[in-house]
Amino acid sequence: MQRTYLGEFEEMVLLMVAILNGEGYGVTISEALAAHTGRIVAFGTVHNTLIRLEEKGVVTSELGGATAERGGRRKRLFRITAPGSRALREIQQLRQNLWLLLPPDMLQPGNL
Amino acid sequence: MKSPVQPPRWARWLLIKLHPDNTLEEVTGDLDELYTYWYNRSGKTQATLRYLLNVVSVLPPFVRRRHTDKHYYRQPDYPATFSLQFMMIQNYLKIAFRNLKRQKVSTSINIVGLAIGLATCILILLYVQDELSYDRYNEKADRIFRVALNARLNGEDVGGPMLGPNAARDIQREIPEISKATRILRGGEFVSNETSSFKEDNLLYADSNFCEVFTIPFLKGNPKQALTEPNTVVLTEETARKYFGNQDPVGKVLLFSREKTPHRITGVVRNVPTNAHFRFDMLVSSTDYDEQHIGWLYSINFYTYVLLSEKYNYKQAEAKIARLAEKQIGGELEGFLHLTPKQFREKGDDFGVFLQPLTDIHLYSTFGRNELTPGGNILYIYVLMAIAAFMLLIACVNFMNLTTATAVRRSREIGVRKVLGSVKGQLRQQFLTESVLLAIAALIVGLMIVGLSLPFFNLLTGKTLTLGLLTNAFVAAGLVVGTVLVGLLAGSYPAFYLSSFKPVAVLKGRITAGRGNFNLRSGLVAFQFFITISMIIATVTADRQLRYMQRQKIGFNREQVLIIHNTQMLSKNETLFRDKIIQSPQVITGSISGQVPIGNSALDNTPIMSRENPDKAVMSRFYKVDDEYIPTLGMQVVLGRNFSKNLSTDSSAVILNETAVRALGWQQNPIGKELIGHIDDNGVKTYYRVIGVVSDFHFESLRQKIGPLAMFLGGNSGNILVKTRPGELPQFLASLKQQWESFSPAAPFSYSFLDDRFKQVYLGEQKIEQVLTLFSGLTIFIACLGLFGLATYTAEQRTKEIGVRKVLGASAGSVVALLSMDFLKPILIALVLASPAAWWGMNQWLKEFAYKVTVDWWFFALAGLLAIGIALLTVSFQSIKAALTNPIKSLRSE
Repeated sequence: MQRTYLGEFEEMVLLMVAILNGEGYGVTISEALAAHTGRIVAFGTVHNTLIRLEEKGVVTSELGGATAERGGRRKRLFRITAPGSRALREIQQLRQNLWLLLPPDMLQPGNL
Repeated sequence: MKSPVQPPRWARWLLIKLHPDNTLEEVTGDLDELYTYWYNRSGKTQATLRYLLNVVSVLPPFVRRRHTDKHYYRQPDYPATFSLQFMMIQNYLKIAFRNLKRQKVSTSINIVGLAIGLATCILILLYVQDELSYDRYNEKADRIFRVALNARLNGEDVGGPMLGPNAARDIQREIPEISKATRILRGGEFVSNETSSFKEDNLLYADSNFCEVFTIPFLKGNPKQALTEPNTVVLTEETARKYFGNQDPVGKVLLFSREKTPHRITGVVRNVPTNAHFRFDMLVSSTDYDEQHIGWLYSINFYTYVLLSEKYNYKQAEAKIARLAEKQIGGELEGFLHLTPKQFREKGDDFGVFLQPLTDIHLYSTFGRNELTPGGNILYIYVLMAIAAFMLLIACVNFMNLTTATAVRRSREIGVRKVLGSVKGQLRQQFLTESVLLAIAALIVGLMIVGLSLPFFNLLTGKTLTLGLLTNAFVAAGLVVGTVLVGLLAGSYPAFYLSSFKPVAVLKGRITAGRGNFNLRSGLVAFQFFITISMIIATVTADRQLRYMQRQKIGFNREQVLIIHNTQMLSKNETLFRDKIIQSPQVITGSISGQVPIGNSALDNTPIMSRENPDKAVMSRFYKVDDEYIPTLGMQVVLGRNFSKNLSTDSSAVILNETAVRALGWQQNPIGKELIGHIDDNGVKTYYRVIGVVSDFHFESLRQKIGPLAMFLGGNSGNILVKTRPGELPQFLASLKQQWESFSPAAPFSYSFLDDRFKQVYLGEQKIEQVLTLFSGLTIFIACLGLFGLATYTAEQRTKEIGVRKVLGASAGSVVALLSMDFLKPILIALVLASPAAWWGMNQWLKEFAYKVTVDWWFFALAGLLAIGIALLTVSFQSIKAALTNPIKSLRSE
């Protein structure tokens, strides 16, 4: 089977899920995105991406952790799966390899 | 407990209404949380605005739906199973075989139905292919055209495929686009060698360039020089064997006709293919026919073919030939009728020539009996193609119906399979495998049917079709691919429909096939019966017409009339022979005449004029008879008298039929009036006096209206007609043969009976009737299969209902009636639709006949009753079975 392909935003969301380590759900993931990357995105975008990630098998989810703040409704809590973490590591490895291929000083400001 | 701040209620309402149910809880919760956060940070307005924006972002069409189906999500830790594995296919095949074996009846019905449909289709395609392949064996087929005459005289079409002897020569000389022009002339000759003598009916006189235009493969001899000399002849393989056995015939001599003219054999050619518009047993050089008469219009007997040079448009060549014809024929008309072409046309008459592409002659030419072989009809080809398509369509529909009907029985199996983890795709593959397997079995059975029925089909159609075409790789591949497609198509409905059953519902025994499907199915039944009823009506009409024609009073007595052919070969002994025959106690009367009513008397119409009105010509047939002719054939003299041997003046007497008298416009007694006869070279006219009138009789088939006819005494020769007493025929014939041979003529003894000839004339109609009977039988059969499938299906569907009805006291009879009623409606609709269509079609067909039956209302009633009867019989098998089932059985499973 070929490697799971992840888009850039999907990668960000997957990283947030991993960072939040089991505490990630719609609200916290949106806030983490805003806090760490400065992106303000519509809630629907995050929601859709999470569903897509689950279809790709890189996260799993379960319902739980109802609070009064949410009117007693449960949260859908996301957790990264083994293929998910493998995918993230592979992405990082790939980047690493590509960076190593760069000519030295190529990206120095003066060179462009 | 409620949180202190609440988003606007209507926005929440919108969310609840429109957001997918299965993610509603967490999304509403998340948005509430966010609202509180925004509210605390930026105030109510900001929060409401953001809330709204985000609600919209999770509404359709923006929101992605979460699939509840667990297997929709990949199990990435395991490799996904590739569903078309060898093991799986093996399993599908195994299960398919088991299923088909278990349901023997429905399997065989299904296979037979489709097989018959396929077989019919293949047979028709073979036939059509053969019809379309006529004359294509010629390498230059696309460049060969026949020049045909287009003429109108006195309001009658007198055109034909033949021209005078000089047309070919003139065309070749004057028109550069024509690379070659060649003629053939139909002939019949008595041919003998030392050992045997035969009447060769199928010989053609051909020009020396014949073999350069048509592709005639020579086995022996040189095609370039074969027909260049006079009195040379080319034989086909078969003819060569007939005369010379295995000896080499080239250089040997055959004796032609009474005069025993020697003809040298210059070549042997392969037998002419059966799909050619002319066939011959012998080709005789026609060099000695040249320049006998000069012209295009004299002795119009020559089929003239032209070979166009390459890269020329035939329309241009046609225009040039037409111009040439205008000049030549126009000139001849002027010399003959003293009319310029313009005056001729002003009279309402017309003439001209046109080109017929060689490959179109068989199917499109309309010259009927003037053709070298009986032509086909493109209309029949279309009708046959339509029948083939309908048969296949109906067979496919039935196949689908039956497959679905039997598949419903297997809903439990599907339930169990689903519970055990089968996914839809696998079930679909399972069903598709089964139906493809069935279709392939049907193809094999169908091919066997074709193989077995081909001899009978050939007998029926008079063709020599072979399965050779099917060995063509393209055709074979097409058949297999087509069959697999039929299988896939037929299997697709049960495959997609059944695999979507919910296992729980199925296992609880609650399958509800929608009544909506029933409408589609009823439509299909109506369609099938539309075709069936039309076919029945067509068959009945053809049968009535045939019987009508055979029973029709034909105006003479055809019973017990023996015809001895070729008696002109006895020359002077012809009368002697007749006189000898008459002395036999078997014979009542005997007559000599060249003309025999009924059959292929290829007589041309000749104009006759009455003395007082010489401008009015009546096209009439001439019969040359003797004084015994009318009594021998039992014709009725309604006015005047028969010819008499003892009156010498009768040699210039004429007997007309009633139609001729009417056509000449004689109101009162025509006896004693005079006709203008021929004009001799000195311009002296002879007159023929009318001495009698015979009642009209059919001298051709009933397709034609009885035309004017004139009988003359003497100058007759060719046949001896003998009216015999019944009984002892074999001895009589043997003695006749003996007497014949005592004159040692060049021709063999041959004879026929008048009533046999009569039957021969209607062979075509008989064949049409046989073909119609066959096809209507087949459509009835296939339609019944369809009905049977549908009845099985509905009975299956309504088992519970029937059980409940029976428990509540319904009788078996009322249940049968209930189930049968469903099928009556589509059949009645079909009857209503089919009747006018068939009525129109059959009237079109009947137009060909001058004497015909009318399409009566009872034809439709009969067809309708027959269809309904057959349908009820078919349905009753299933409905009675359903009605007699013990209700306990059907209700127990609840």
